[in-house]
Amino acid sequence: MDLETVKERAGPREFSPKDDMPEEYRKAATRMIQFHANSEIMGAYLERPFIRQAPSLERKLAFSAKVQDELGHGQLLYRAAESLGIKTRQEMLDELANGQGKFLNCFHYPMESWVETPMIAFFVDGAAMRRQATLKSTSWEPYAHAMDKVCFEEGFHVKHGEAVLHELMTGSKKEQEMAQAAFEKWWPRIIQFFGPTDKQSTHHGFASEVGLKKMSNDELRRAFLNTYIPKAEKYGLVIPDTPTIEKNDDGTYNVAEDELDWDEFFQIAKNEYEPGLGQIDSRKKAQEAVAWVRESMDNHEQRLYGGTSPQAAD
Amino acid sequence: MAAAQQLPGPQDLTDEQREAVEMLLYRLADDEFVIAERYTEWQVRAPTIESDLSVANIAQDELGHARLWYDLLEDFGYEEPDLIWEREAGDWRHSTLCELPFGEGDWADFVVRSYLYDEAEFVRVKALEGSSYPRLADRVEKVLAEERYHREHARSWLERLCEDDDSRARVQDAVDRLLPYALTLFSPTDEEIEARIDELGLRTENLLSMREAWLDEVVPTLESAGLHVEEAELPEQYDVHHVDFDLPDETGRDQSHTDYWFDLFDEFTKSYRELGRHSAMKIMKDPDDE
Repeated sequence: MDLETVKERAGPREFSPKDDMPEEYRKAATRMIQFHANSEIMGAYLERPFIRQAPSLERKLAFSAKVQDELGHGQLLYRAAESLGIKTRQEMLDELANGQGKFLNCFHYPMESWVETPMIAFFVDGAAMRRQATLKSTSWEPYAHAMDKVCFEEGFHVKHGEAVLHELMTGSKKEQEMAQAAFEKWWPRIIQFFGPTDKQSTHHGFASEVGLKKMSNDELRRAFLNTYIPKAEKYGLVIPDTPTIEKNDDGTYNVAEDELDWDEFFQIAKNEYEPGLGQIDSRKKAQEAVAWVRESMDNHEQRLYGGTSPQAAD
Repeated sequence: MAAAQQLPGPQDLTDEQREAVEMLLYRLADDEFVIAERYTEWQVRAPTIESDLSVANIAQDELGHARLWYDLLEDFGYEEPDLIWEREAGDWRHSTLCELPFGEGDWADFVVRSYLYDEAEFVRVKALEGSSYPRLADRVEKVLAEERYHREHARSWLERLCEDDDSRARVQDAVDRLLPYALTLFSPTDEEIEARIDELGLRTENLLSMREAWLDEVVPTLESAGLHVEEAELPEQYDVHHVDFDLPDETGRDQSHTDYWFDLFDEFTKSYRELGRHSAMKIMKDPDDE
């Protein structure tokens, strides 16, 4: 299929592995889905220590299930990315381990306290939900299909995050203050989640022309702010002064973007942000520590089937 | 063993009966809670995404079982903070097998530990099917169904890892290290109370006979996988020489614990303490209504 035909036909779930897609499309889709899959894994990696810190047994159960879901999403998304024929799952996992794989800005920041968990599980997951909901009608069918399950489960995660936030904001004064401090720390990062305005985004044009991306960064951020500013205020959080956000009469917002630290954002985008390297490197170390198991499993597969298919041991 | 007389509900037990029921429940609940706490360390660190997902499943099952058993302790007026968050670390009754940390990348430890634990869990929960305490017996079926899957999972990993020499050596190392601790799963808390648990028919097998049944299962399995079990090298009569096994200094059951436990306890109660909490949020239906 030539690129012009792709652009003409680029409707929801229009293309699948049965179609002969041009390389440009397959590369763009791979980049997008791989980023998404990596983010699921690194988000889970960031949240995992807080399974231990959950302050009730049932919350611990819910937290473990959430982290498990994120891993499951990663698994699903790597499969959707693999179906484009550009990279294998192993190649993508290797890239993630060796620091080449890109992922969401918020998951680069270290997380230290329980009160930070709803900043991810409510706000970041809520922001992700916005984007993911639109991707149910992306043009690459396996990606849209994965989004069905992902969005369904993310709905629970946001509720989980909202419940943790609610608990904190109806708790002691100390809890409320700790939550507000965490919110102030995370808020600018959450605004940056949607990336720079469309005119600065390099990949936007093509991805939307071929139906991979359904809404622009600006539209998504506006929709997020419309929903989440009132929610944050409902729970008693005070929206930080930076960045300045003004609401227009038509319900849209003006965000003073130049007040945000875009140097840091682009440093993160290149996996060069110093505090975030700890996440990447420690995950790499953890993966290398169990490389012997994967080798052993490959030997097992060899003995069984004589082939060279990669391990999928459960 | 003759069927013991059925015991009444929690409010109508005598003090002696209640003490026995509580002790049995602490054994069960603390084991499940603490081993699950350790299992979650493998989440997002297991060898593959697939093994990651199953380790998470198993941790959640065990946590779910802990929840069922702690809930029966709540029948006696305790609340979750009394049972977990504000309890003295030195009061816990779990076997020390559950509290040991995992070395980085030591998947063999996870496989061996979960194998030894799940086989023991199966034996002891089977012995609760005919418990004279109906509140307990009623919850056994759900636990057993999940343990069947855990055992299959652990066995299949054990077999696969033992196929090549390098990984079998790691498994052997884990067996040597963990077997003494696994034996504490069958150690008594207080001899007198344990005897009462048996007399009252709260379980239908005593600790020694369960330990024999467990060893008769795990020793031949380990050996057939090419592993070596030091003290079990005598002939087929496994029940003769099991007495020779040395227990570690800390069994957990008698409230003696390794230093690792106190660190772990500090870690998992950290947020609860930092937030200054006095209660634990329930977010699920009561197990009786599920």
